[in-house]
Amino acid sequence: MGSLSVSRALQAVLLVVALFLPLAAGPYWIHVGAIAWYYAMLAASWALLAGFAGQFSFAHVAFAALGGYASALGVSLLGLPPAVSMVFAIVLAIVTGALIGALVLRLSGPYLALFTLAISEIFRLILVAEEDLTRGMLGLPVPGLFSGQSDVPYYYLGLALVVAALLAMNWLLSTRVGLFLRAIREDEGAARASGIDTTRYKILVFVVTSVIAAIAGIYYGHFIGILTPNIAILPEMGLVIAMAVIGGIESLPGAVIGAVVVFLLSESLRAYGEWRFVLMGLALILVQRFAQNGLYPMIEQWSRTRARPRAAASVEDRHAG
Amino acid sequence: MPADPFFAVAGLAKHFGGIHAVEDLSFTLARGEILGLIGPNGSGKTTTINMVTGALKPDGGSISVEGTDMAGQAAQLFARRGVARTFQVPRLFRRMTVMENLIVPALSDASEHRSSAEERARGVLAFLRLEHLAGEYARALSGGQQKLLELGRALMLKPRLLLLDEPFAGVHPKLLEQIIEHIRTLNRDGHTIVLVDHNLDAVQSIVSRVLVMARGRKIADGAVAEVLRNAEVVRAYTGSRAGAQ
Amino acid sequence: MSYFLLLAVNGLVVGLIYALVASGLTLVFSVLKVVNFGHGSLYMLGGYASYYLISGLGLHPLLGVVGAMVALFVFGVVFERLVIAPMYTDKVERKDEYAIIVTFGLTILITNLALVVFGPFAKSPPSFMTGALIAGPLILPYDRLIAAIAAVVLLVGLSLFLKRTALGQALDAVSQSRESAAVIGIDPKRMYTVAFGLGSALAGGAGALIAPVFALSPSMGDLPAVQAFIIIVLGGMGSVGGSIAGGILLGLVQSLGVGYLPDPNRALAYTQAFGALLLIVTLLVRPTGLFGRSHLRLE
Repeated sequence: MGSLSVSRALQAVLLVVALFLPLAAGPYWIHVGAIAWYYAMLAASWALLAGFAGQFSFAHVAFAALGGYASALGVSLLGLPPAVSMVFAIVLAIVTGALIGALVLRLSGPYLALFTLAISEIFRLILVAEEDLTRGMLGLPVPGLFSGQSDVPYYYLGLALVVAALLAMNWLLSTRVGLFLRAIREDEGAARASGIDTTRYKILVFVVTSVIAAIAGIYYGHFIGILTPNIAILPEMGLVIAMAVIGGIESLPGAVIGAVVVFLLSESLRAYGEWRFVLMGLALILVQRFAQNGLYPMIEQWSRTRARPRAAASVEDRHAG
Repeated sequence: MPADPFFAVAGLAKHFGGIHAVEDLSFTLARGEILGLIGPNGSGKTTTINMVTGALKPDGGSISVEGTDMAGQAAQLFARRGVARTFQVPRLFRRMTVMENLIVPALSDASEHRSSAEERARGVLAFLRLEHLAGEYARALSGGQQKLLELGRALMLKPRLLLLDEPFAGVHPKLLEQIIEHIRTLNRDGHTIVLVDHNLDAVQSIVSRVLVMARGRKIADGAVAEVLRNAEVVRAYTGSRAGAQ
Repeated sequence: MSYFLLLAVNGLVVGLIYALVASGLTLVFSVLKVVNFGHGSLYMLGGYASYYLISGLGLHPLLGVVGAMVALFVFGVVFERLVIAPMYTDKVERKDEYAIIVTFGLTILITNLALVVFGPFAKSPPSFMTGALIAGPLILPYDRLIAAIAAVVLLVGLSLFLKRTALGQALDAVSQSRESAAVIGIDPKRMYTVAFGLGSALAGGAGALIAPVFALSPSMGDLPAVQAFIIIVLGGMGSVGGSIAGGILLGLVQSLGVGYLPDPNRALAYTQAFGALLLIVTLLVRPTGLFGRSHLRLE
């Protein structure tokens, strides 16, 4: 029990810090924080997809782009009201997520990664090619959601979205669906032999995480005010993967914290230019090599052995966070 | 024989390229019967189990479970129909706990609630004498305990037909006795069981009927004592040791 | 017609280089069962290694290529021993995931290191041979010709090595079945190291060969990497012949596409997208690729 409350306490503290940050920090850091929430949503949903369900998809940032562009183009091309356009974008993400989830059913490991990478590239290249529609590399302007110049409303919107996404994903994991996903990841054949319709759940998790990514993309578009196909380039996907892996690929709060920390670090180290990414690449390799589950679970583990010397973890602890 | 046997396989076949792993296999099972499926390595026993549980699509033949032909359907449909299997090498959900491993098959039935699944799981754990391991990760279990958990998982499906693939393989002699006792109890309780194993002594001590396969075909089916005296059966076993796979 | 010929020949040259890169990747995949997501950065390193060997030691450009291959072989061996080898033990749980992540980490590390160390501006190594081959309507710079010939030599050499030499056959044995190879006395772990070193050397050689043609920059490996992924799926994992066929196909499509499609922006994007589409279709319809072995585990 001790470790569960340590973990929850830590998350509560971080949430409070996040809530009060705009009061203490200047506009630059509020802006950075608002962007960090975008990555946090992507990293956490990707952790659910890749870490819990074992689907190592490289198409995640493409779904963010899908959400952002569909929502923006729905307004500018189809004349839909913004709220309707957002719903339209989400529905599109559901359909596309289901389609891709169905296509990759028989793939795993590097094949799944390559397949989703190819899909992501095709989508991105279409965005680049069809400049007449998307304004290509010039960028598609997206109207803001709030009047005024301040980033503070976006910051809190982003934070709210992150918390909502975490609550939704945690709820899903606490149901039998969560058990089934983990069973599928452990051994899909054995899961089938246990009566699980693995097809249905693999597609389900693809749809859920794609929707979260799309929402993140919608948020990002409205916040930054402009969208380019560059949000879906491979290095962006790499950044999301690095955040989730370093933070904790099987820990949703770990992925969120990983995203925030990695992004904040990369911003604060801007002066050092590309060295920050050298560091990130190195960190990625080292964390995989020495702490495969990520750093947040390692911290949890450490605090567990401090709270209870005989570290026999209970079932509840495993659902911590 | 009743018009609609509890379980019937007719003309079952599976080819891998040019290899006829299983050819023209037919047999029936009455409810509550226990059958030993034996044969030398490569005779098609595991392929048969795979087909009869939906892990492999047969290339021909029918598989009737309580009158319904299920040949070629997906594995989870067989499982939900109550056709449960264990794997030769236990395929547990290693990074999940013993309790989680047990409730997963139960929860695959949407109408079962978590609380009743956990209660049944505790019952199965008691039957297998593994209650103290409920919170342990499956990967932390010893080989023998994993085999028992594998059996437990199959039991959680409320099985009508249990297919046990090499339940005695690599098992400590003391645990072997325990497993034999468990299987006897399950059969006494009315479970229909197909038992595949190389340990002829163990198989003989439980079953009264045995089906022998060799090179993908059924070569004998009947009472244990007779079958083991059958010349062809003897040849299949000694011949295969000398011959190539 | 001469325009077509020009485009086709250039496409062939680029295609052979892609094939060379892909052959290294396919070798690593077939032996280690790992897709090296950092393969593009090895290609880039090869180019820079050659450049610095030539300018630093005054080597002849072709020797620079050889030197680059040796350097990348060593680099590959070191990376395999340090980062990939732990995968073979039970310390690493999710092996597929581990391999993808660490090789991806390699590319992030190396590409950005190159940016800081070498700088973002393109460098141009000296030509292998100045001038061009003129045959009728065809003008082919000697650099491209030499790059293509060298690529062919290396690819043929690789095929012969894999089929005829003891070491090559050992690699092939491990690629077919780790357990069977171990039973007949081959040490799979050593073969993994050799394969990774060799695959890295091939990528490095390709980078060194094409450097005089297209110049060096830290991001030069990004496009060839994606092409290599497409090629190994299209041609079939583990098939050198498939890499050659796939590489030439992609090179030709790219060259002809850009040359003939009217809108340059669309042309560039869609010729690349076409390759990605080929990858998707292949995985859906014929996952083992055109020449791949069907026994390779897909699930």
